[in-house]
Amino acid sequence: MGMSKTVSGTFKKNFVDMWRKIVFPVDDEKVSDLKIGEQILISGRIYCGRDAVLPRIVELYKKGRLDSEGINLKGSLIFHTAVSHAGVGPTSSNKKEIEDSISILSEAGVRMHLGKGALKIDTIRDLNKYGSVYAVIPPVTALLESRTKSKRIVAFPELGMEALYELEVDGYPAVIAAAKGESIYD
Amino acid sequence: MTEKELIFDREKIVKGVAAALVRAGSTFSGDKMEQYKEAWHAENNQLSKWAMDEIIENAEVAEANHSPLCDDTGIPHVIIEIGKGRALTGDMIDAIYEGIRQGLNTLPGRPMAIRGDDLERISQSRGLEEASDAVVPAPFMLKYVEENNILRVNLLMQGGGPEIRAKTYRVFHRHDAQVVIDEIVSWAKEVVGQLGCSPCTIAVGIGRSHYEASSLMLQAMVEGQYDVQSEQEQYITKKVNESGVGALGLGGNTSVLGTFIKIGPQRASGVRIVCMRPCCCFEPRKGSIDL
Repeated sequence: MGMSKTVSGTFKKNFVDMWRKIVFPVDDEKVSDLKIGEQILISGRIYCGRDAVLPRIVELYKKGRLDSEGINLKGSLIFHTAVSHAGVGPTSSNKKEIEDSISILSEAGVRMHLGKGALKIDTIRDLNKYGSVYAVIPPVTALLESRTKSKRIVAFPELGMEALYELEVDGYPAVIAAAKGESIYD
Repeated sequence: MTEKELIFDREKIVKGVAAALVRAGSTFSGDKMEQYKEAWHAENNQLSKWAMDEIIENAEVAEANHSPLCDDTGIPHVIIEIGKGRALTGDMIDAIYEGIRQGLNTLPGRPMAIRGDDLERISQSRGLEEASDAVVPAPFMLKYVEENNILRVNLLMQGGGPEIRAKTYRVFHRHDAQVVIDEIVSWAKEVVGQLGCSPCTIAVGIGRSHYEASSLMLQAMVEGQYDVQSEQEQYITKKVNESGVGALGLGGNTSVLGTFIKIGPQRASGVRIVCMRPCCCFEPRKGSIDL
C-alpha cells in the first residue's frame, strides 16, 4: 500500500507496519480477540451495503433465502457504503436502517461491520453476543480507490449505488471501535 | 440595460462553473491544508494523528487526480454575488446549470438522484437515476454586494452526513450573546461524535428566520477562513475540542479545525434563530468563478 509523502511518511509507515492484517471472509477466532483501538488492514472479499439494501438483506435472512440469492454472510464483513464511479467511503453507521441491521446480521454470520460514527449501547452489547465487532474507516475515497481491486453487484441492482455489492480489496485501513461490549466512543 | 450587457460568453460560463465544481469536490483550500498540518503537529493521540495523515494524503491524491475527496460528492449549492453595474439573465443561469451538469459528469459526482413523483422520491421506492448529472442543485441564492463589477458564482458541495446533524432552531438569548454562543457549543458537542467524519468545521448562521439563518450559514461556509478566526469562533472551536472526540472519533484534541460564523441583522425579540452545521472533515468543499 502507498505510504504518505504528506505530514510524516516515516510516522505513517512505522504506524501501519504494526497493523494486524485480516483477510475476509474470516474464521470466527480471527475476530474474537480483537480489542477496541486496535488497528487493522482489511483485505479479501467484502460486502457493501447501506440504508436501502440492508433491511432487504435482513428480510432475506429471516426468510432463509440468503443462499438462493448467492449471499454468504458467514465470516463476512459489511462495509456501510454506497458503491459508484465516485468511489466508496463510509456512511454513518448510526443511521436507523443501518444500525437496526447490525444485531440481526451479526446473528446471521457477519463478523465485522465497517463504517463510521458512534453506535448505541444496545448495538454494542449485541455485537458482543454474536462475537462480532464494529470498525471505523477514514472516509478517504481517493486512497481507497487505489486499494479496490474489483466490484460486482450481488443483489438488488435496481437500487443503483445502494445495491448489495461485493468488493475485492487490499489493505483498507480501519480501527476497531466496538468489541467485547466496549466502545472507543465511551 | 444595453444590448451589450446582455451578451455573454456561454461557453466561458459553462466551462468555468464545471471547473469550479470539480475544484470544490477534489481540492483543499490552502488555509485548510495548513490548518490540518498544524493540527497534526499539535495532536498527541496517535490514532487521531494517523486519521488526519490519511485525510491529508487523500486530499493530495484527489487534487492530483481531480477525483472526489469523498464518495458523497454532495448536493451543489450556488451562491451568486452581484454588484452594481452587472446583470444576470435567465440565459446566464441556464449556462450555470449546464456547467453544474458538466462538472458532475467530470468529477464524477455520485449518481444519487432519486426517481419518481413527490411521494416516490420521499420513499425512494422507484430507485435511483444512473447519471451523475441527474443531481440537480438546490435553489440558487443571490447576494447583493457593494463592489462594482462583481459577478461571482460560488459553489458549495454539501454532503449528507452533516445534514443529518445540522440544526436550525431558536435560542432565547436573555440579552447576552454568550448564551447563544454557549448553545452553539452545546449543539456541536452533541453531534461531532455522531458524525464520525471529524475533524469538523462548525458553520453557523444567526438571523431572524430559519431561511435567513440557513442562508447566513452557507455564506459563512463560502467566506470563512481558517487563518482568520474571531474571538467567538476561536472560543467555539476550543470548547468543542475539549470534548476529546478527535479525528474520526478516535480521541484526541482535534475534533474541530475551525468555526465560521456569519451574524446577520436581528429581530427586536428575545429570540435568535441559529443554524449550525457540523461540516465534515473535507468541507467546506467550495469553488468559485468570477464572470
